[in-house]
Amino acid sequence: MDLLENYKKAWDNQPEEVSKFSELEIYKLAHSRSSSIVKWIFIIGILEFVILNSMYFFVDMDEAYAEYKKIGLENFIHYSQILAYVIIFYFLGMFYLNYKKISTSDSTRVLMKKIIKTRKTVRNYVIFNLSYMALIMFIVMAAEINLKFEDLNTKQILLIVLLTLVLTLVILGGLWLFYQLLYGILLRKLNRNYKEIAKLDRIN
Amino acid sequence: MKKDLEAKFLSDFEANQNIAHKICRLYTTNQSAHNDLFQEITIQVWKNYPKFRGDSKFSTWMYRVALNTAISLYRKSTRTIKTQDFDDIAFKIKSTDYDDTEELQLKALYKAVHQLNDIDKALIFLYLEDKPYKEISETLGISSVNARVKMNRAKEKLKNILNP
Repeated sequence: MDLLENYKKAWDNQPEEVSKFSELEIYKLAHSRSSSIVKWIFIIGILEFVILNSMYFFVDMDEAYAEYKKIGLENFIHYSQILAYVIIFYFLGMFYLNYKKISTSDSTRVLMKKIIKTRKTVRNYVIFNLSYMALIMFIVMAAEINLKFEDLNTKQILLIVLLTLVLTLVILGGLWLFYQLLYGILLRKLNRNYKEIAKLDRIN
Repeated sequence: MKKDLEAKFLSDFEANQNIAHKICRLYTTNQSAHNDLFQEITIQVWKNYPKFRGDSKFSTWMYRVALNTAISLYRKSTRTIKTQDFDDIAFKIKSTDYDDTEELQLKALYKAVHQLNDIDKALIFLYLEDKPYKEISETLGISSVNARVKMNRAKEKLKNILNP
């Protein structure tokens, strides 16, 4: 007889759980809060949006706007921010839809596919945030140089470009780490299971 | 309407809770993780219950929801596997009319399955529960040929752990 058949007999004969739950206990459990990862991705996305945007209440934006006005970027900043908000709302909408659509009653493969879609949305969201940041920094830099072009020599211009580059890299690096921590932990396990289930498809 | 649905869910789930307990024992190694996973399974089954149309048996459907929850749930405690946790499980399921050899076998079986990855755990669980390949392939969303191949590999892995 197959080795596993013996164990299967032991499995079949295992007694039922001693600490069974009553209907009342099940009712209480069913109505408590879920801790599923996708839900947390959605919640963290919303929280991040709210926290970053409420920072405008604490940082004096008038000064920044005065600076933008001086270098002639007020219109650009204004419209690019509107566009950025539209895109961010699109992402939050996607987070919500991902959360709504994910259902554990799908087959495991379909479930994992939806999870990987959530992952992609998160990744694109991070990439968008980082590139928007970098774009604004470089445009502000270019505008500053353009404004004071007459007063600056080549060496100074190069220095400004280099400084901006380093500063951008440092800020982006910091943000990247922050996102890695925030979403990376949530996504790592999902990714491992996805790879497993994806392997099932490649067998034949 | 909702009350009816809820009452039906409660009695269905209560009657089939052993499915969830067995999955919890396979996917977790201590009581608090067991309870966490059990709770999440309860929530997911209830959340998806309106979608259950009754074209299959409730238990069949519950296998799928419960396994998917175990596979996709973030569990913090998986990295710290302690040996005494296995003894807890064995102690809990011990009863008077229970054969000693089988108890040892069961303990070894749980210990071995704990070393498999999440997907292999699911396959072995469905094998132990005597599920036909058709149901296994529907649960996992793969063809039954793939399910067979993957099942054989999972069984091989398990045998190697049980009998190195």
